[in-house]
Amino acid sequence: MRRGWRPLLVGGAVVVCTFALAKAEIFAPSAPAGGTETVGDVSRGETVFQRECASCHGSGGSGGGVGPRLVGAGIDAATAAAIVQQGGGVMPAGLVSGRDEADVVAYVVSISMP
Amino acid sequence: MPLADVSEAYTDLVTTVFSSAIAAKVWFATAAFALAFVQVTTAARIYGRLRFLPERGRAIAGVHRWSGRIAFLCTLPVFFHCVMILGFQTPDARVALHSLFGTFFYGMFVAKVLIVRDRALPAWALPTAGLTLASMLCVLWLTSSLWYFTNVRFGF
Repeated sequence: MRRGWRPLLVGGAVVVCTFALAKAEIFAPSAPAGGTETVGDVSRGETVFQRECASCHGSGGSGGGVGPRLVGAGIDAATAAAIVQQGGGVMPAGLVSGRDEADVVAYVVSISMP
Repeated sequence: MPLADVSEAYTDLVTTVFSSAIAAKVWFATAAFALAFVQVTTAARIYGRLRFLPERGRAIAGVHRWSGRIAFLCTLPVFFHCVMILGFQTPDARVALHSLFGTFFYGMFVAKVLIVRDRALPAWALPTAGLTLASMLCVLWLTSSLWYFTNVRFGF
């Protein structure tokens, strides 16, 4: 085999490994266990929401931006967490994570109750 | 430590400086993109272009090497968050394009590094690989950081 192919072959192997790692998502946060149960801090979630989410969903989730109105939308915790983790429409996945995610989910559930 | 907790530990770590993990990611990617610009300009000078830049060969080569090393380091947190936590996704064209170019990026990076060290390859191979790598980083930045800055917010 000509030596010139080595960079392409090794590079190709790295691409395959990267794709396999990406499909595995081995460090992806696990989905919340409970249906509508929330464990986050609603007041802290409001702060995070205003910082990270309000530009699209409007202040307090009242709509008016590129994202849908969340007030009164009837979103449960599992749905909110799934959308935060996986994204939806133009919303990027993982916009908030960890404690911020739990708090934002709790806040979104609190404002989306019809 | 369960694997899923690694994600939370990473978030806790980066949010000591940035407002969120994704904000950290877009700024690391922006730093890598800026350094890629340095890479392209210094490489152009090494190849006899951009004559307005100083002609000190060693200094230019040093800046080129170190900007590349630092750019690579800047991409590592981005790699971790994108590949290990978020994974390959295709919900819309922007994310699909970003996932595709991100998957090929490190393969192109490794190929470019091997081409640098392989003196038997034709002269056009290295600038072609370097420009391809820089172009891929540009697409990745446009489909992530620029999108975040213009659609979500501009800040740390």
